[in-house]
Amino acid sequence: MDVKKPASQENLNGNESESQISHLALDIGGSLIKVVYFLRSNGSGGSVDDSGKKSDPVLEGRLHFAKFETSKIIDCLEFIRSKNLHLAGFRHHDASANDKTLIKATGGGAYKFADLIKEKLGVVLDKEDEMDCLVTGANFLLKAVHQEAFTYVDGQKEFLQIDQNDLYPYLLVNIGSGVSMIKVDGDGKFERISGTSVGGGTFWGLGRLLTNCKSFDELLELSHQGNNRVIDMLVGDIYGGSEYSKIGLTSTNIASSFGKAISDNKELKDYKPEDVARSLLRMISNNIGQISYLNALRFGLKRIFFAGFFIRGHAYTMDTISVAVSFWSKGDAKAMFLRHEGFLGALGAFVSYENHGLGGLKTHQSVQQFAVSETYAGKKMCCLVNEDLNDNESIDFGVAFAA
Amino acid sequence: MAGLSEGQTPVLEIDGTLNSNDGNSRGNKGNDKAVVLVGEENSNSNIDTQNQQGGSGGGSEREMPSMHRSGSRPQLDLSKAAIQGNFEVKNPTILLPNQSDDISHLALDIGGSLIKLVYFSRHEDQSIDDKRKKTINERLGISNGNRRSYPILGGRLHFVKFETTKINECLDFIHSKQLHRGGVDSRHWNPGVQVNDNAVIKATGGGAYKFADLFKERLGVSLDKEDEMDCLVAGANFLLKAIRHEAFTHMEGQKEFVQIDTNDLFPYLLVNIGSGVSMIKVDGDGKFERVSGTNVGGGTYWGLGRLLTKCKSFDELLELSQRGDNSTIDMLVGDIYGGMDYSKIGLSASTIASSFGKTISDKKELADYRPEDISLSLLRMISYNIGQISYLNALRFGLKRIFFGGFFIRGHAYTMDTISFAVQFWSKGEAQAMFLRHEGFLGALGAFMSYEKHGLDDLMVHQLVERFPMGAPYTGGRIHGPPLGDLNEKISWMEKFVLKGTEITAPVPMAPSGTTGLGGFEVPLSKGSTLRSDASALNVGVLHLVPTLEVFPLLADPKMYEPNTIDLADHSELEYWFTVLSEHLPDLVDKAVASEGGTDDAKRRGDAFARAFSAHLARLMEEPAAYGKLGLANLLELREECLREFQFLDAYRSIKQRENEASLAVLPDLLVELDSMSKETRLLMLIEGVLAANIFDWGSRACVDLYHKGTIIEIYRMSRNKMQRPWRVDDFDAFKERMLGSGDNKPRPHKRALLFVDNSGADVVLGMLPLARELLRRGTEVVLVANSLPALNDITAMELPDIVAEAAKHCDILRRAAEAGGLLVDAMINTLDGSKENSPSVPLMVVENGCGSPCIDLRQVSSELAAAAKNADLIILEGMGRALHTNFNARFKCEALKLAMVKNQRLAEKLIKGNIYDCVCRYEPAR
Repeated sequence: MDVKKPASQENLNGNESESQISHLALDIGGSLIKVVYFLRSNGSGGSVDDSGKKSDPVLEGRLHFAKFETSKIIDCLEFIRSKNLHLAGFRHHDASANDKTLIKATGGGAYKFADLIKEKLGVVLDKEDEMDCLVTGANFLLKAVHQEAFTYVDGQKEFLQIDQNDLYPYLLVNIGSGVSMIKVDGDGKFERISGTSVGGGTFWGLGRLLTNCKSFDELLELSHQGNNRVIDMLVGDIYGGSEYSKIGLTSTNIASSFGKAISDNKELKDYKPEDVARSLLRMISNNIGQISYLNALRFGLKRIFFAGFFIRGHAYTMDTISVAVSFWSKGDAKAMFLRHEGFLGALGAFVSYENHGLGGLKTHQSVQQFAVSETYAGKKMCCLVNEDLNDNESIDFGVAFAA
Repeated sequence: MAGLSEGQTPVLEIDGTLNSNDGNSRGNKGNDKAVVLVGEENSNSNIDTQNQQGGSGGGSEREMPSMHRSGSRPQLDLSKAAIQGNFEVKNPTILLPNQSDDISHLALDIGGSLIKLVYFSRHEDQSIDDKRKKTINERLGISNGNRRSYPILGGRLHFVKFETTKINECLDFIHSKQLHRGGVDSRHWNPGVQVNDNAVIKATGGGAYKFADLFKERLGVSLDKEDEMDCLVAGANFLLKAIRHEAFTHMEGQKEFVQIDTNDLFPYLLVNIGSGVSMIKVDGDGKFERVSGTNVGGGTYWGLGRLLTKCKSFDELLELSQRGDNSTIDMLVGDIYGGMDYSKIGLSASTIASSFGKTISDKKELADYRPEDISLSLLRMISYNIGQISYLNALRFGLKRIFFGGFFIRGHAYTMDTISFAVQFWSKGEAQAMFLRHEGFLGALGAFMSYEKHGLDDLMVHQLVERFPMGAPYTGGRIHGPPLGDLNEKISWMEKFVLKGTEITAPVPMAPSGTTGLGGFEVPLSKGSTLRSDASALNVGVLHLVPTLEVFPLLADPKMYEPNTIDLADHSELEYWFTVLSEHLPDLVDKAVASEGGTDDAKRRGDAFARAFSAHLARLMEEPAAYGKLGLANLLELREECLREFQFLDAYRSIKQRENEASLAVLPDLLVELDSMSKETRLLMLIEGVLAANIFDWGSRACVDLYHKGTIIEIYRMSRNKMQRPWRVDDFDAFKERMLGSGDNKPRPHKRALLFVDNSGADVVLGMLPLARELLRRGTEVVLVANSLPALNDITAMELPDIVAEAAKHCDILRRAAEAGGLLVDAMINTLDGSKENSPSVPLMVVENGCGSPCIDLRQVSSELAAAAKNADLIILEGMGRALHTNFNARFKCEALKLAMVKNQRLAEKLIKGNIYDCVCRYEPAR
């Protein structure tokens, strides 16, 4: 691997007294802010390769992931300040003052909140293209992290070993507030081929209007307990219980989402919020699954990876998307998911530091050895502020700096 | 061209029109009498009219064999059944001339939200034993043996919708019209008949299963369930093939009708947006596959919309969306990128990034959002989604065309725009969304098609005429009950409407339920406007099936043929003609009222006509494409239709008579004058005469003014004196060369000439008849082609034989030719002593053109004319309506001569860069 000379080595060496050196990247979306930061391990005993290439200093540590609601950006900034994450950003060669500190950021909010962040933290956001970051993040994860991708069928997660040499091309479906569908042909080689405005924001927005839920996760939780048959018009409702098998529809297929809310004389309050949430989730998941499959088909893509905060490891969501893809593809295609689904953009922004040739992180072969720790210490630590978002993780990391 | 069903007696057909709406109320007329006289499903008003007219058809009707009417419907009346057509055909159509109402008249599509009805009302279809016609038919080679059969009964298809939740209203409606028993007629004719309890009605849609028991219980009928997809596809194929202006695109509020080449129709993607959405790849008749669909459809819009806005109806929700602003609800790209575009991936700031994405972050409750905004946001989300998935599927199967149908669209401009935008956006402009005017009725129509022996499969585009009855401007695309059937109801409705003016907010009072007058119009709710605010509401008219209409066989390129010369898509043009028609209206009403004796009843009808026609005009002014593609010809025809709707059968009757008599009086002198000239001079004089006589046109304002200044012959002579060549368009020399040749070159005479005549009086008598006589003299057969139904002062095919007979008294050439053509069968013949010369003459014939309009659409002419055209090698089109307003640019397989005087300054400037009273003599050799 091409190893670059770290120009900011003095930063690292000069601050050796500090036990941790941080790198921070942000993905500020319409609904959520995703934070990725690197904390150096305290005791780095295993940092030397067995091969004896001691000339390559390997910086070991953990990548941490945190999320905040965009509406609570102040909390997020406070979190960053409290951990001094912003101080360790990439600096210019001649950096002499904090106001020159650049933090990699992506997402629409990187533009919108640039001034606010400058004011609060005194750092300048270095805006990375959102798609670039998404793809970089996904490529990084799929190549570097063991058991990153999995399928979800009938409530069963099944991890997949992706052959790195047969990874491309694939379809990356990022479900944020809206949905982007990206055809990825290689590192940095990709094209946004489609998308839909019916995404996570729609689920949460409509869900909020319909159920009075206080949070996205509460809404997801509700949907778990609901029964969509109360609200959706099923094929069976139309055909009096008989199936319309001629065209491959069974009586439990949804003919029209929310279609039953028509004929009844019921008001919104007469419906259980659980049922409404379930119906909504199925509608949106199904739709995304369908459009994704059609686009994969169009470009002859074998794999579809679904990511983005909408999924959140929520079983029912993944199940619905999986069913939709399977249904429309008549079983030919399978939906795949990423464990770090919400953090592609932030991760991509983080990885993009290397492009500047300064203080760059290099995914080292050894990364895989460290793999992912599900039981790392920092898991809870990084979501102090935002207790709703409890699925943050960290990845143990080997970071190599060339001599 | 209304109701020219069998092309037999225009009188009957006029009558049919008046009785339109399937005679749902004709209680005020003596039905019994009709039964006695005809014993068939004719309405009595036929008889009234016949008695009035004393037409040749009246008596012969009684000669019809007595009809056997079976009481129970399933029994076919097989008397006189005959296999039609070539016996080598595999499945010959069986014609059951005496089988009338055994054919069920109703089909249903019972969806989750709406019930759609298609029902059929009969035309009168008795064959009149008209000797003149018989002779002509024989001469033209029309005989029952080798002509194509017409298993389709002339009639009308009506389209009605009900909400499924109001299924009882639908049942009442069917019951009141007795549609489940073959329509009201059958009861009238046979009141004592036992009702058959085993009647079967074709139905489709999920509700056909769900409500089967209810129908059995309430109406005593069984629903014969037809497969939904089959019906959808059959309906769409029928519409796309049979209705000329069925499909259109809708971009940014602009509607454009698309001419579909029926030979290049397949494969296409049919997207039916009902409660859910089905996407069907159609490869041909009965050949299709449901390739995709989505559960996010009309039901989702209405269901979510209801939960979020408390709207009471789908239409209310749609209406709301028109005043909405979705940027308060949707997260736009600009919201995420701080007002900037994300141009790298082609997204503008106003692109929706996340539907309903803004209702996340605010602290607002549902009640804090405007229902208008929510409705719009919902509409955009769903329309956009459907457009996208449809496009992806079209792409997947390489389909060029995507047609969107289903009740969700409802002619709603914004919905169509959104879908179109989505398709265009995702296809990067390569694909276009198309919509169908009868969007909601595909399934019902398909179910109707599934009846055997309705013959609709064979129906061609030229055999359908769509009519927009009085209610059309008011009903818009809404759900509404049946149109008012009875003339009296129509008039009183119109009077009430006018009385209340713009204040009307409640539906029109309907006839008491249980009577045949059930139903009515839903009047626009929006105050201050007689018309819907949604400019794009499409009107669905009544489809008239006229099996005898054919495409004029001499058109050089029927596919490219466009009758209208003036495109009213140009708004200033539209405005001009609307003004012309509006200004002419009072005069026309006076004429019409006078023609009916000026009685109080006539005045009342006259007022109602004026209002109804004005309403049509206003509707079209607001939405020119409301009734399909609009040309001047359509507008002029609409006026004639409207007159007939209010039972003004022939407003210019007395004027026409007077002018014919006056002209016939001077004809002999004119003929003598012509005969004294050399061939060359005479030909010029004849053409001049045609052009000069064409000034007698009551359709032209300028000419109406002229009439007050002189007698017919004075005007004619003055006009002829002005006919100095060169005319503005002057191909006379070429025509003369063809006729007379030059030097040794003696061209052969034409074999047969079709003369499309225009006005009564001098125009036909002093202009066209002498020209016809000259052709006959040269040995050319002459066919005079005249209107089937009256329009303005145009001569009709009914009137022409009498005029020819009268002229023949003074001219041997005409007499012998008319005799040979069978025109003098009934008339006084041999009054001239010249009759001793008995050398055979080429015939002079009269055929009707199939029209009731001052213009002519050559895609839909009578079969008689089509047959007559077979051997013709010269066409002469005369007059503004037929040679300028329409067909000015038409090209023919044979020679054509277009003659007209331009009696309208604007048209003169536009068409020939000339002035009013300029003349057109355009000669076009065969193509």
